[in-house]
Amino acid sequence: MIPGEAHGTIALSASACTSCMICVRECPTWCIELDSHTEQVSEPGARRPKTVNVLDAFRIDFGLCMYCGICVDLCPFDALAWSPEHDLASTTAAGLVHGIEELESTWPSADCAAEAGTPGGDGSPSDS
Amino acid sequence: MTLHSIPAPERKYRVAGHPDLRVAILDVGLACCALEVGAAITAGLLVPEGSVDTGPATSEVSVLLISGTVTDALAPAVIRAWGALAEPRLAVSFGACANTGGPYWDAPTVTKGIDQLIPISVYIPGCPPRPEALIAGLARLASTDGPCQSERGDESP
Amino acid sequence: MTSHGRTDVSPADWLEAMAGLRSEGFVLFDFLTAVDRGATLEVVARIVNPVTRVTAMVWTTLPADAAELASLSDYYLGATWCEREAAEMFGVTFIGLADTRPLLLRASLGKPPMRKSAPLVARAIRDWPGAAQATDDGRQGGNPSRRRQLPPGVPEVFLHDDVNGDVASAELASGDQR
Ligand code: SF4
Ligand code: SF4
Ligand code: SF4
Repeated sequence: MIPGEAHGTIALSASACTSCMICVRECPTWCIELDSHTEQVSEPGARRPKTVNVLDAFRIDFGLCMYCGICVDLCPFDALAWSPEHDLASTTAAGLVHGIEELESTWPSADCAAEAGTPGGDGSPSDS
Repeated sequence: MTLHSIPAPERKYRVAGHPDLRVAILDVGLACCALEVGAAITAGLLVPEGSVDTGPATSEVSVLLISGTVTDALAPAVIRAWGALAEPRLAVSFGACANTGGPYWDAPTVTKGIDQLIPISVYIPGCPPRPEALIAGLARLASTDGPCQSERGDESP
Repeated sequence: MTSHGRTDVSPADWLEAMAGLRSEGFVLFDFLTAVDRGATLEVVARIVNPVTRVTAMVWTTLPADAAELASLSDYYLGATWCEREAAEMFGVTFIGLADTRPLLLRASLGKPPMRKSAPLVARAIRDWPGAAQATDDGRQGGNPSRRRQLPPGVPEVFLHDDVNGDVASAELASGDQR
């Protein structure tokens, strides 16, 4: 009954997220929070180690989120996507704050993503 | 502004997919989210009691459904509506505005979450939530024991 | 509808200009509102000649810290509603306006909320999550992405501590009114 392109919720692919903070800074309701740290990664053949951001925590407060989709549109790495999942009711206000695990669990299936023409399916969190 | 009259009495509905459940809804529709309640009825997700032949319901809940933007000016009317609802009663906060203020979280006139004023049993996220989310939320309600006071609810006067 | 165009008048001529247009047939009052320009506040009224279907927009400019203007309510009864709204939202005092009850807001709200100087309390008292930076692993040195970030759309002055102090007390005061 619910079409695949339905804007039910917003899902995260943590492996695609570079902790660039763009979504956090552009969200009009300030409902995304992100913790990250940097690490030095030495790659074989590289002269110097590379500094990479490592994502520690990613939270969206769906109590506050106004489903504007700005974060999905602006993420340069397609780490956020619309998902038709809608059964997110909670018995507490705190239960509406979703962390990485919950945000990844709603990542749209390849079918949904194809219908919606958005990222998803490929590069799903489970592939990481 | 006179807000002394309490909105229309609650109406009874059956919830699609939950044949045992009957909900008596007092809908406080204050903004766009209220349309989704109508959409749920039109889509046959909320079935007015008596409109079709339904079997006996084993559980009935009286529900105050707050759908839409609660302003500080209107908040007393919501509290009155809650007070007018017969026990046992549960309150459902439907949509970002009712949950936290939502898109109007920074507006000086909007109540930042109706749970500051009345105890909320189920919060349904969305702007607006889909009608299906309302049904899922109501189904969740049937399995809750009673209103659970959120941390934010402690601020209620 | 055709437009009579924009007319700018001094605050002293406001009433006379509007009365003149009314006698020319602009008898239908449409709306009145204000625009905050910082040091000044502009007030605009739109009126219509229902016979010729011509509209007129009349503007005047007031000092922001002494925003007083003659009320149009003697000429246009319908202006009362808009003037009450402009009074509470923009802090314009309409001289001669008989009904000064607040229209939409609680009387205790403090600064007129549509003034740009009115802080958005919710944004001022909350930490902006975008200010967070990746904690590094002890590496020293410049990282060009670490310039100070400010939330988009929030004037920097709102984030100053003195404003926060004001705001916190305003919040407390309005909380008491609940
Ligand atoms: S949809 Fe809009 S409000 Fe929700 S997290 Fe994304 S940017 Fe923020
Ligand atoms: S914009 Fe995308 S990559 Fe950047 S922090 Fe947000 S989710 Fe991660
Ligand atoms: S949550 Fe969104 S759809 Fe619902 S009342 Fe508020 S603005 Fe409207």
